[in-house]
Amino acid sequence: MGKLAFNMRKYWPLYVMAFPGTMFFILFKYIPIGGSVIAFQDYSVFKGITGSPWVGFKHFIYLLEYPDFYRVLRNTLIFGFLKVTIMFMVPLILALMINEIRHSLLKKGIQTSLYIPHFLSWVIIAGIAFEMTSLSGLVNTIRDWFGLEPMLFMQMESYFRPMYVLTGLWKDAGWGTIIYLAAISSIDPEIYESAVVDGASRFKQMIHITFPMLLSTAAILFLLDIGNFMELGFEHVYNLLTPMTYSVGDIFDTYVFRTGIQQARYSFATAVGMFQAVVGLTLVIVFNRLSRKVSGGGLW
Amino acid sequence: MSMSWNEKLFQVVIITILCLLSFVAIVPVLSVIATSFSSRLPVDMNQVTIWPIGFTFASWEYMIYRPDLWKSFGITLVTTIVGTFLSLLITAMMAYPLAKKEFMLGKVLMIAAVITLVLKAPLVPYFLTLRGYGLYNNVLVLIFPHILMAFNLIIMRTFFKQFPAELEEAAVVEGCGYFRLLFKIVLPLSKAVLATLGLFYGVLIWNQFQHPVMFLQNPDLFPLQLKIRQFIVDDSVMPDMNAGVLPNYNEYTLRATTILFAIVPVVAVYPYIQKYFVKGALLGSVKG
Repeated sequence: MGKLAFNMRKYWPLYVMAFPGTMFFILFKYIPIGGSVIAFQDYSVFKGITGSPWVGFKHFIYLLEYPDFYRVLRNTLIFGFLKVTIMFMVPLILALMINEIRHSLLKKGIQTSLYIPHFLSWVIIAGIAFEMTSLSGLVNTIRDWFGLEPMLFMQMESYFRPMYVLTGLWKDAGWGTIIYLAAISSIDPEIYESAVVDGASRFKQMIHITFPMLLSTAAILFLLDIGNFMELGFEHVYNLLTPMTYSVGDIFDTYVFRTGIQQARYSFATAVGMFQAVVGLTLVIVFNRLSRKVSGGGLW
Repeated sequence: MSMSWNEKLFQVVIITILCLLSFVAIVPVLSVIATSFSSRLPVDMNQVTIWPIGFTFASWEYMIYRPDLWKSFGITLVTTIVGTFLSLLITAMMAYPLAKKEFMLGKVLMIAAVITLVLKAPLVPYFLTLRGYGLYNNVLVLIFPHILMAFNLIIMRTFFKQFPAELEEAAVVEGCGYFRLLFKIVLPLSKAVLATLGLFYGVLIWNQFQHPVMFLQNPDLFPLQLKIRQFIVDDSVMPDMNAGVLPNYNEYTLRATTILFAIVPVVAVYPYIQKYFVKGALLGSVKG
């Protein structure tokens, strides 16, 4: 400790600089983690953490017997699956195609129109989805041309998951190509040159050179993606949800928000949140370790 | 070298697919633009697609005079500017000591920061804690929780570590303290990384929805995103109708207008942030 005190006296400005950031981590990250103990209490705002009675695993047991819990778990798993399959593959394919365009102005135009949605908020993305599928929206206008009855897609259970994927792709698929395009630009041009000498067509070059060269990048991204399996995006799902689609669209994040914040069932929602955090943490650690083994690159 | 017939076909197919996809990506925005500039009747009768029918500024004339929309816009603008500045300042001030060997707490604080990337507090204790700090129904909740992101901290620390030591040593000889080193020598030469991280923080604060929806109940404090969400889910977008003259807008055209209102600033700054975001996306994608 004497050493630290000496170090602090000698380099005090460094300690002053680090102070606000350190306080931020304590106040906004670590204290709330400590607050998770209310999952083991019957927490009441008036009694506080010190005054509320301890109830052990009561809320966890209740949760496992609760049918809603399995519905939410199933939705979370389905969305996670969609995220690491379809939503993972599209940027890779898009990048391969964008790379084939020689005309630079055309390329730029295409990239811009695919990148811009990334900067729109989920409120806007979902708002546009609702506008487009409203009674006088574009989708129903087109249905009208073919004499079809108008449908409110956003209120229908069977369209919720496709809408989740479509809006997700719309916002982030173009953005996801950037890392692949950067990886492509770092491929040694000599490889292509010798392929041309051997008479390989552009299509063959794409399949036999570009695609295999991207696989290591894709592998890291895939493992990180699976590691983040539970992070489906509260803002994404919440903004698409309506009470009509709870049964297919409710995930842990939205469920905890509704029960915990809006209905103030603090201890129960904390138990649900802890369950989610533990599963999420396990996934991150396991897949980060895998990703380091595969490629030497990981989150840490 | 001339291309073979097959090569040309391959090019044409790919260009066609990509042009179609970018058109599909733009159509929703076109449809919103068309709706917002169309008259009420063609919209009600499902005639409007991606081109306005019965062109009118009626929706815009009404929305532009709504004080609540401008108030929300102002809240978002101010919190984004102040929040981005504050975030960069605090991130830089923390990253600098972390990059210094002589700072004894460096390793401990670095581990503590990385842990927050994977171990996140459940929503409810997070909510209760911040409410305990007085951030409930307080616009500061739009700024404070984003002031330091561990990921950005790591990027900036890595950058500071690679900063050429000779530049600093010369200044130390002249008697510069750490604060002057950071603010007079290091930061002025870190504009690229500051711009990239500023872009991260700025977009995050401008677009944020989760914190406001949890903490702000008072409509007077709504940032733009929450205001638009309110317009989309309830009918508050429409004025109280007096019998008599029917205006040339309806809830759809008004909603389209508010959505467009929020898109315009983003598209307007896009050309300026373009050169930084490729770098930003590369850094961000590692985060996942």
